[in-house]
Amino acid sequence: MKFLTTDQLDAFLGYVAGQARVVAPVKDDKGVVLFRPWAPGMPVELDVLLSKQSAKEYVFRQSETYLKFGYTMEGLAAAQTESPEVAHAAATEAEVAAVDVAKAQDARVKAFETVVVDPVNEAPAQVIFGLRPCDVRGFVQMDNVFSGYGGFYFDPYYNAKREATTLVAVTCRDPRSTCFCTSVGGGPAGTEGADALLTQVEGGLTFETFTPKGEALGAFPGFAEVSQAQSLYAETVKETAASRVAPAFDLEGVRDQLRENIEHGDWHDLAMRCISCGTCTYVCPNCYCFNITDEIVETRGERMRTWDNCFNPMYTLETSGHNPRDIKSNRFRNRFSHKFWYYPDKYDSLLCSGCGRCVANCPTRIDIREVVRTMGSPRPVTVTGEEA
Amino acid sequence: MADDQTVATAAGASNTGKSRLTFADVEVGATTAKAGKRAGNPYLPQIATVVDIIQETPNIKSLRVRFDDPGVQAGLSFEPGQVGQLGIFGVGESTFAINSSTSQASDHLQFSVMKAGEVTSALHELHIGDKVGVRAPMGCGFPVDAWKGKSILYIMGGIGSAALRATINYTLEHRSDYDNISILYGARTPLDLTYKYNIVEWEARDDIDAVITVDREFPGWDGRVGFVPAVLEEMNPNPANTIAITCGPPIMIKFVLQSLQKLQFGDDQIYTTLEKRMKCGIGICGRCNIGPRYVCVDGPVFSMAELRELPDEL
Ligand SMILES: Cc1cc2nc3c(=O)[nH]c(=O)nc-3n(C[C@H](O)[C@H](O)[C@H](O)COP(=O)(O)OP(=O)(O)OC[C@H]3O[C@@H](n4cnc5c(N)ncnc54)[C@H](O)[C@@H]3O)c2cc1C
Ligand code: SF4
Ligand code: SF4
Ligand code: FES
Repeated sequence: MKFLTTDQLDAFLGYVAGQARVVAPVKDDKGVVLFRPWAPGMPVELDVLLSKQSAKEYVFRQSETYLKFGYTMEGLAAAQTESPEVAHAAATEAEVAAVDVAKAQDARVKAFETVVVDPVNEAPAQVIFGLRPCDVRGFVQMDNVFSGYGGFYFDPYYNAKREATTLVAVTCRDPRSTCFCTSVGGGPAGTEGADALLTQVEGGLTFETFTPKGEALGAFPGFAEVSQAQSLYAETVKETAASRVAPAFDLEGVRDQLRENIEHGDWHDLAMRCISCGTCTYVCPNCYCFNITDEIVETRGERMRTWDNCFNPMYTLETSGHNPRDIKSNRFRNRFSHKFWYYPDKYDSLLCSGCGRCVANCPTRIDIREVVRTMGSPRPVTVTGEEA
Repeated sequence: MADDQTVATAAGASNTGKSRLTFADVEVGATTAKAGKRAGNPYLPQIATVVDIIQETPNIKSLRVRFDDPGVQAGLSFEPGQVGQLGIFGVGESTFAINSSTSQASDHLQFSVMKAGEVTSALHELHIGDKVGVRAPMGCGFPVDAWKGKSILYIMGGIGSAALRATINYTLEHRSDYDNISILYGARTPLDLTYKYNIVEWEARDDIDAVITVDREFPGWDGRVGFVPAVLEEMNPNPANTIAITCGPPIMIKFVLQSLQKLQFGDDQIYTTLEKRMKCGIGICGRCNIGPRYVCVDGPVFSMAELRELPDEL
């Protein structure tokens, strides 16, 4: 453990910024705290507990181009003027085979050039400084999804940025009423996924490291050795903070009860107020769903992915008009069941780190703790209600 | 780490020994067609050329595509029932069953596309020689090996034939591995029957039982008339040692499942292949789930027994 005096904080960030991009919580002129690229002279906001949005954007971009492509002008022109036979009927399998190869020699092969570029996974080294431990865990929870945990696929765009990122957490001295990290296995000084942890004590911050990435930051020459008093102080800060996070629910049995209650009418009652705005998904440090779209102007185009939200009816709407989650309570049920049942089934942990952002930012005051307490415990049998 | 374990035990998970992949575990930059699950970039389509287009019905075309990289085509293999994403750069991608035979994988892949929305309409505009992007094979196929020695009953309607064709071809190519093989195929009108060239063959063979039906009388049609579930019940198949596989419009599947139950087929004898709106196709983007199962990676093939475990979100 090391010690950083308050007046050395800027020098420390400056030192880090000499090696990597620094992203830190900064208060804008409207008083909103958000993670922003830091430059020397910018005051870092460590007293406001939670940034309005999580910092997931710096690894999982809100919108990200992942393919670029182009057509040649001549190709497009040729394709528009020539119109060779488009398709043929086939009466026998032999007839299908017979027309096959010759047709492929069509002039269009040369004229209609497709260029595909796999954009380099641009991932300069970055240090995200001043994260709350719940936000750090948000990354760990997304890591499972994007890194093929359990035998699935590997996402190079996420992982390139993730590998180049160092996560520096800061202990929450003053948890809010919406915090419930301790109910989901974390804590205000939790270190899961953190490369380093700072704790504000009298006169400065203690600095602990847990990984080689964290240790690299420890090379800053302005650190002092920590005194016993300072490290005791830090322990007290941590313990006090943990004791101030109110228990929200008991996780034991929640998954089984969600399974049990999947068709229960209480989902309908809980979802009633929700206006499907999706705010809860955008502010969440671990909601990771995305959409994929193509854009093209004349001959140049891009394929990109953009954060999506499972509350939007379009999310599952099929071309035929059929929608497997057509009623709001089914979409509502999906978000909470995903976090406490579906994801745990696949990835052996939870998809919620208890940051409370969805509670604090929901315009209709939907409270995930209440949802888990209600649907994650035995329910009296009711008749399923009809949705208006 | 201690935190993690607390959560894991509290949520009821066991220590599974599963792990995350890093760049060192994958073939950097490789597509799924090239490297399967070890694809370093499963979002990257493999470029292919349309080598043939067959007008199956007024609104269904089969596109036969071949990868431009001959090595990738030559090295390709897939399981019957697996799917692929076929895309046009600038329009988008959509999921389709691979309906060519697994035995022809090293030569081409074939997809049958029903004109429905944006991407499918653009695919209908393609000409032979045009370029497409393909991400395949994806998902899990039918357990054809586990079915060895059993009788197989295919029950399909409309474009549902596309999802079963590769499997039908597989069981026909390995005919001696299976007991009876029956195919019940229905369409609205004779014009809507896909793969007419295969139907001719099926009807000509005496080692398979093919029943083709259309919904109502049609000029020039002297074959069977009637809805698939009704014809199925008339056929009265013996469920003993038989696997029933069904695919078609949701309403047909619904009634076929009821008929199969009436005919005493058990939940583990009934298989279907599902559709859900998809984007990534690789279990990441989140939208294709039915409860904890993702159609793109855990499906699209499910047994009735598996579906019973899931929320009613079909
Ligand atoms: C596993 C699977 C196998 C399929 N096999 C075939 C097949 O062999 N032949 C065939 O004609 N069709 C098949 N489909 C359906 C086909 O994918 C949709 O008809 C197609 O995506 C519609 O796209 P669109 O752009 O034309 O429609 P739009 O409405 O313009 O599409 C918007 C987007 O919605 C999504 N989407 C909408 N409906 C569906 C749907 N039912 N399934 C999946 N995604 C959808 C796609 O991402 C699409 O890009 C299959 C679907 C799945 C999931
Ligand atoms: S923020 Fe609240 S109202 Fe908006 S989608 Fe989430 S739960 Fe519903
Ligand atoms: S679900 Fe809500 S409380 Fe949990 S991590 Fe997401 S925003 Fe925070
Ligand atoms: S299509 Fe993206 S998760 Fe299935």
